[in-house]
Amino acid sequence: MVKVKKIDSIAKKRPREAEGWMYKNIFQLVPYNIAIIDRDFNIVYANDNFTEYFGDWQGKKCHQVYKKLDHPCDHCNSILTFQDGQTRVCDEAGVDQYGKPAHYVVQIVPLKQRKNGPIDYIVEMSSDITETKRWQREYQLLFDRVPCYITVIDKNYKIIRANESFRENFGDVIGKQCYEVYKKRDTKCPNCPAAKTFKDGKVHRSNQVGIKKAGDKTYYIVATSPVGRGHGEVNQVIEISTDITETKMLEKEIIEAERLTAVGQTVAGLAHSIKNILMGLEGGMFIVSQGLKNNDTNMITEGWEMLERNFEKTTTLVKDFLSFSKGRLPDLELTNPNDLVMEIVNLYHQIARNMGIELKANLDENIDKFPLDPRGIHTCLTNLVSNAIDACQLSDKKNLEVIISTNFSGGLLTIDVTDNGSGIDYDIKKKIFTTFFTTKGGKGTGLGLLTTTKIVQEHGGKISVQTKKGEGSSFVMTFPRKRLYMLYKGNQD
Amino acid sequence: MASKYHKTILVVDDEEDVRKYLSAALIGSGFDVIVAQDGFEALEQVKKHKPDLISLDLVMPKKSGAKFYHDLTKNKEWSKIPVLIVTGHARDDLGKADLKNLTMSGPGVYLEKPVKPDNYIAAIKKLLNMDTTEEEKKLGDKIKLQSELKTMIDNADPEILEKLKKIIKPDNEK
Repeated sequence: MVKVKKIDSIAKKRPREAEGWMYKNIFQLVPYNIAIIDRDFNIVYANDNFTEYFGDWQGKKCHQVYKKLDHPCDHCNSILTFQDGQTRVCDEAGVDQYGKPAHYVVQIVPLKQRKNGPIDYIVEMSSDITETKRWQREYQLLFDRVPCYITVIDKNYKIIRANESFRENFGDVIGKQCYEVYKKRDTKCPNCPAAKTFKDGKVHRSNQVGIKKAGDKTYYIVATSPVGRGHGEVNQVIEISTDITETKMLEKEIIEAERLTAVGQTVAGLAHSIKNILMGLEGGMFIVSQGLKNNDTNMITEGWEMLERNFEKTTTLVKDFLSFSKGRLPDLELTNPNDLVMEIVNLYHQIARNMGIELKANLDENIDKFPLDPRGIHTCLTNLVSNAIDACQLSDKKNLEVIISTNFSGGLLTIDVTDNGSGIDYDIKKKIFTTFFTTKGGKGTGLGLLTTTKIVQEHGGKISVQTKKGEGSSFVMTFPRKRLYMLYKGNQD
Repeated sequence: MASKYHKTILVVDDEEDVRKYLSAALIGSGFDVIVAQDGFEALEQVKKHKPDLISLDLVMPKKSGAKFYHDLTKNKEWSKIPVLIVTGHARDDLGKADLKNLTMSGPGVYLEKPVKPDNYIAAIKKLLNMDTTEEEKKLGDKIKLQSELKTMIDNADPEILEKLKKIIKPDNEK
């Protein structure tokens, strides 16, 4: 404990004594381990902290005490300082007096007894950073092993740091720009979220597609965040990416599974069509043979025609079914659904009117473009409008109308076709989306709604019907916007 | 039309070729035939002609076979007319439930499409309790037996069926 007053008074009277006392105490009190060594590495003097930390040093060489080595360290920095007189700061690993590994930072300062003379001694001041080192190792581990890709980039998009996960997956990063390594591009990506962060200092997120080391595609969500919380310019940005390739594959699988379920159900309905065709063939053969038996030319002709008709039905059925069961990625283009609806209304407006039915559109003015297959949606609308018109024809009501509406809310694009015609029987309603069924006798193939359902599902959407017998029906197609964009981006990459 | 048997069969089916075929088979065997293409028309025909037997398809637009049958049985006189069901949907979702209901409460005989002319005529004759040739009798019996068996199995307790299966084929795990 330093009694300041005492030193004050001593200092005035016996300055050299005061100085000596001051330096001695400082030498002992500073939170450093201080040792002074000569050119032969002998420790000539050390403070108490040093002794406490490294143990006994009298008559020993510095490498013996610091590192328990019998020879000088391989990259001894003190030798260098003896040679060039430069002060150095070094990160060292040694052994403390209990034999435990110790990490310390040491400052090496040359000491001359005479101003222009040689360097006689070196002062080594070290402070323990074992704890810090441990944390550093922990954080390094975290940084490297976290199952995300982490990179830090500068304003030129050059990668300053990259974690192990990133390097493992995307390859070598040294001297490269982030877009070079993430995407194997030579120019900055359009809509780069890091660029936005550099500009406004805020966190930005976006979905991206990258190319891994081996050349395979990978889908990820990247979040970019400024380094530091300063209010000035952003000089560095952290990019953290989570790989979502698996989730994406799952989503694709779900859509595919939904499609297959529909196909599976239609196979059962297919049996009905085939059985009737077989009846036709059976019948044709029977009538021909009866005709031959009775020498009845008319019968033979009739029977033969039946055979021909049913063979043709087989061909048509096979063709329809094959094209139906093919899974396609729809040809998505950014289209405004309102335009598609107006196309249909304009096409069928007059025909409907001639039958006494008003075909109208009820459009959501606020909707913009969506990734849709225009031809596919056109087919769906044609089918639904045609069914609606048929339903109206079955009814005796006066003010028959078919209304096509569009709406976008809650992330869902909805297009529905509503009529006030005859409504659908409960029995039939149960089965319409999934079976070859037609109420149009020989004319309908029964495939219309099935095809519509297929197209809707290919867009990742759903179709449903609300109906009341005698009052009318509403066929509703819903398309989640997320899925449309997912399919759209998937097609582009 | 002077026919051998002086019996009129009403053939109900929404497919034209099926009507043509079954009619030809019936006329060739000596029956008179009237046709209908859906449940509504069928009711009209029954009112007008009172057929001796109705050959009925199940899945039809406008009014299904099942619905027609339901209406038919409401009328005391008509409910006595024997009905032969000729359907393509005995085993799938579209027809299974309807068929089960019908066979439980009504006609016990049905044929699955496609039908051979001989089987068809034999079934018709059997239902009308007509004199038949030896062969027709055998066919008729076989068809009746098959139908009854199918009905029994459809109506059986599924658990008991499983147990039966294991007894018959003890090696089957499933």
